[in-house]
Amino acid sequence: MSDHPPCTCAPSNGPTGEKLPGFLRKGGWLCLALPAWVVLYMVIHRISEWIAFGLFGLTPKSHLGEAVAFFFYDVPKVLLLLTLVVFIVTFLQSFISPTKVRDVLSKRGTGLGNALASTFGILTPFCSCSAVPLFIGFLRAGVPLGVTFSFLVAAPMINEVALGMLLAMFGWKIALIYAGTGLAIAFLSGLILGRLRMEAHLEGWVQDALKAPAMGDGEEEEKSTLAERIHLAVQGVKDIVGKVWPFILAGIAVGALIHGYVPESFMAGLLGKKSWYSVPLAVVVGVPLYSNAAGVLPIVEALLGKGAALGSTLAFMMAVIGLSLPETVILRRVMRPKLIATFIGVVALGILLVGYLFNALF
Amino acid sequence: MLIEVFGPGCAKCETLAKNAKLAVEQSGGAHEIVKISDYAAMAARGILSTPALAIDGKLRIQGKAASPDEILKFLQG
Repeated sequence: MSDHPPCTCAPSNGPTGEKLPGFLRKGGWLCLALPAWVVLYMVIHRISEWIAFGLFGLTPKSHLGEAVAFFFYDVPKVLLLLTLVVFIVTFLQSFISPTKVRDVLSKRGTGLGNALASTFGILTPFCSCSAVPLFIGFLRAGVPLGVTFSFLVAAPMINEVALGMLLAMFGWKIALIYAGTGLAIAFLSGLILGRLRMEAHLEGWVQDALKAPAMGDGEEEEKSTLAERIHLAVQGVKDIVGKVWPFILAGIAVGALIHGYVPESFMAGLLGKKSWYSVPLAVVVGVPLYSNAAGVLPIVEALLGKGAALGSTLAFMMAVIGLSLPETVILRRVMRPKLIATFIGVVALGILLVGYLFNALF
Repeated sequence: MLIEVFGPGCAKCETLAKNAKLAVEQSGGAHEIVKISDYAAMAARGILSTPALAIDGKLRIQGKAASPDEILKFLQG
């Protein structure tokens, strides 16, 4: 067991093997994982072509051949990228928590508060099942309703994993455009919703909960060690990749069909920049579609490849991951219909504007 | 000790409740586990992210499905 060469990025004091604390053994495993990742990433394109054109004997440039090659290239590619992105993101997230964000935001008013809330929304660990406790917790700590909305819009829409994947798949320009416009939407929606003074449209029990005195505001946080953060990141990879792979397979299958079968002229007509209806169409199709951010990226990849306009594609992606029906159903528990309709309306309007703006610019 | 598991019923909340049960079994002590899915109760306790776990009224874990070992550490003080 002990004749493995010592890994260069793990501290080399002491013998390797059972006596090392768990995280060092994990550290050794991790520094083997990175080169393995790079090698795999370099060969998957060849393997996918071999599977499609060699193993299955499909003709290159045929509809079926292109679709199958796209599928077998994208599945490992997206899964590999997702693993790396989730690892890095979960590691970074261990430094920030909703409690810290709440404490910062409760000391700021509108304006700066909205800007901070939108920015924090990107990185704060957040799942839609936590939306309700977080919403109430923010309001109780004195965070204004509009600022809370900025956070609630940014958190799902500028999903940290989606951003990392955009960066890896399409480069920094698209990632930056996505993050920038998403931030603008979150900032402005929060400002507008704050101005509308909708506090009376919160459900009655929420208003009661806000008046009740606080019974203790969470635990004081303990500092995590580096080993715990790495452990958390590995756990995050297992959790997230284990949960979203069906969405990815479905997304890639749709992407592969688009890639292989949908003619460019058709896509240019439907989602091209010349058709006025392409942006609203993208939003209307996107909202009811519920997918994980990672699952929608292969579709985005195929759409852009087939000549869909950048603005329409951005709008589609924002609608799918930023405005989801399940989250709306959850938020309905705290907001009366008028407030929730206003919330969706304002965000959808923002997405439409972004879509038209980028179709006009590019 | 009284272990309270807070969560609206998402997958992570179920995992945390299951891990709490495992921790209690490993500890060999007589601890009571209560599941709380009421949002108003969570709000009153200052919980920001679910799943969360409190032991004897003190909030110990928020926003993650902690492992049985982590929960065991709190049980053993």
